[in-house]
Amino acid sequence: MLKRLYRWLDLRIGVGEIVEKELTGYLLPRNINEWYSLGSVLLVIFALQVITGMLLMIYYVPDADKAFKSVTFIMNEVPFGWLIRLCHAVGSNMMVAVLILHMLSTLLMGSYKAPRELNWVTGFTLLALVQGISLTGYLAPWSQLSFWATTVATNSASAVPVVGPYLVEFLRGGKLVGPPTLGRFFALHAAVLPVVIAALIGAHLFLLKRTGISAPPFGREGTANPFEAQQYHYQGHPGGIPFFPNYALQDLSSISIYFAIFLAVVFFWPGMPFTPDAFVPADPFKTPAHIKPEWYFLANYQTLKIFPSELLGLSVQAAAMTFLALLPFIDRSPERHPLKRPVFLTLVIAGILLWIALSVWGHLS
Amino acid sequence: MENEGRRKFLGVCVAGATAAAAVAAGYPVFRYLAPRSGQGGAAKLVIPAGELKEGDAKFFEFAGSSAVLIKTKSGELVALSAVCTHLGCIVQWVKEKQQFQCPCHGGQFSTDGTVLGGPPPRPLAKIPLTVTEGNITIG
Repeated sequence: MLKRLYRWLDLRIGVGEIVEKELTGYLLPRNINEWYSLGSVLLVIFALQVITGMLLMIYYVPDADKAFKSVTFIMNEVPFGWLIRLCHAVGSNMMVAVLILHMLSTLLMGSYKAPRELNWVTGFTLLALVQGISLTGYLAPWSQLSFWATTVATNSASAVPVVGPYLVEFLRGGKLVGPPTLGRFFALHAAVLPVVIAALIGAHLFLLKRTGISAPPFGREGTANPFEAQQYHYQGHPGGIPFFPNYALQDLSSISIYFAIFLAVVFFWPGMPFTPDAFVPADPFKTPAHIKPEWYFLANYQTLKIFPSELLGLSVQAAAMTFLALLPFIDRSPERHPLKRPVFLTLVIAGILLWIALSVWGHLS
Repeated sequence: MENEGRRKFLGVCVAGATAAAAVAAGYPVFRYLAPRSGQGGAAKLVIPAGELKEGDAKFFEFAGSSAVLIKTKSGELVALSAVCTHLGCIVQWVKEKQQFQCPCHGGQFSTDGTVLGGPPPRPLAKIPLTVTEGNITIG
């Protein structure tokens, strides 16, 4: 039956050719490793966020008077509403975590280097957008946590010289966080950012297909034919392993491992994405005692607290982000093995440690 | 040959696991989307008899659908489903003519629900009611 359908399609639109080119004949480096499957994991996470988000929209009401109640209704009354919402909330945290791992593997294996600068830049932009979609989604439940986290986050824009105060008001749609803020954040979260992210994912994958997969700088002997910046050149891997079924199986096991961790959090640590303030409706007249951002913003939060002036704190962060975004244009040596790049490796490790230290400090302070 | 058997066995296992996972994910989504049971509204409704004048009609929600209570000129109380039996529009009460008219395709019903004209194939469904101490209990 399936074979007949396949043959029917093949005769008409040449499916066999696509399968040959994109799946069975799409050869990957022989020494490819598990880290390369994180992109597929991220695709699955994004799809899951889109699906659970669409489902939540059925019962969620983006109105300051009704938002909290509708979320409570989803959690307590709708069959499996808690499951859908937890998947969405936990999924967003996991997306940031996996994204960071994906970028670390790219960093350590030097895959951001020429000719893959654009892959890195689109990926880095995706990180920023995912942070943006997390932040805008955070306001949706209209809880104390949402309200004050958004107040603090939008307030940091006030440090921008001259236009700062106006910028804050523009972001919020008013002097303070209020119903207009929910409207614009919801539109960003559910309409604008998903489309932009999907488009950028498309661009990221397109670039991946045009440049070809980079071979890891270690492991078994590579199959790459190296890049020379004279003309466009697709990096193929003759003699490599086929994407389907070989590497698809690796993708599938990584996705399964991801699901095991993801569902373990959903079922056994359902409080992970929430603090007690998440269960109190927003009250514009009562700031909770210890308001803290999500774990992935803790380092930024602590940085802002360390520097005497907000502008300085923001500038340092902006500089660090710009440096990371432009890394492939700064680090131009063709060497990709991390152990042969001691300065780079030291910087990466120091950077990670600094980030962890700032986050822990931010969490404890 | 032995390899072939193993391949087939693993294939069956993967297919089974995939099917199980699909069911495990699909069932909550189905339940989440399914209309909530017990949300059809009260199956019994009490209306004070004084609320209705002779010749008037009162529309209300009953068991998740629309219904109407009329008091005829002769003082008789009738409760009917207000859903036209033709294509499901809600009938309107025409006080002057003392009959129901469906705005969608011109169906006409008498005060006891029988079809007077137009395309409706069946009379309006009757809803039982009892009157006790000035209260009309419907259902």
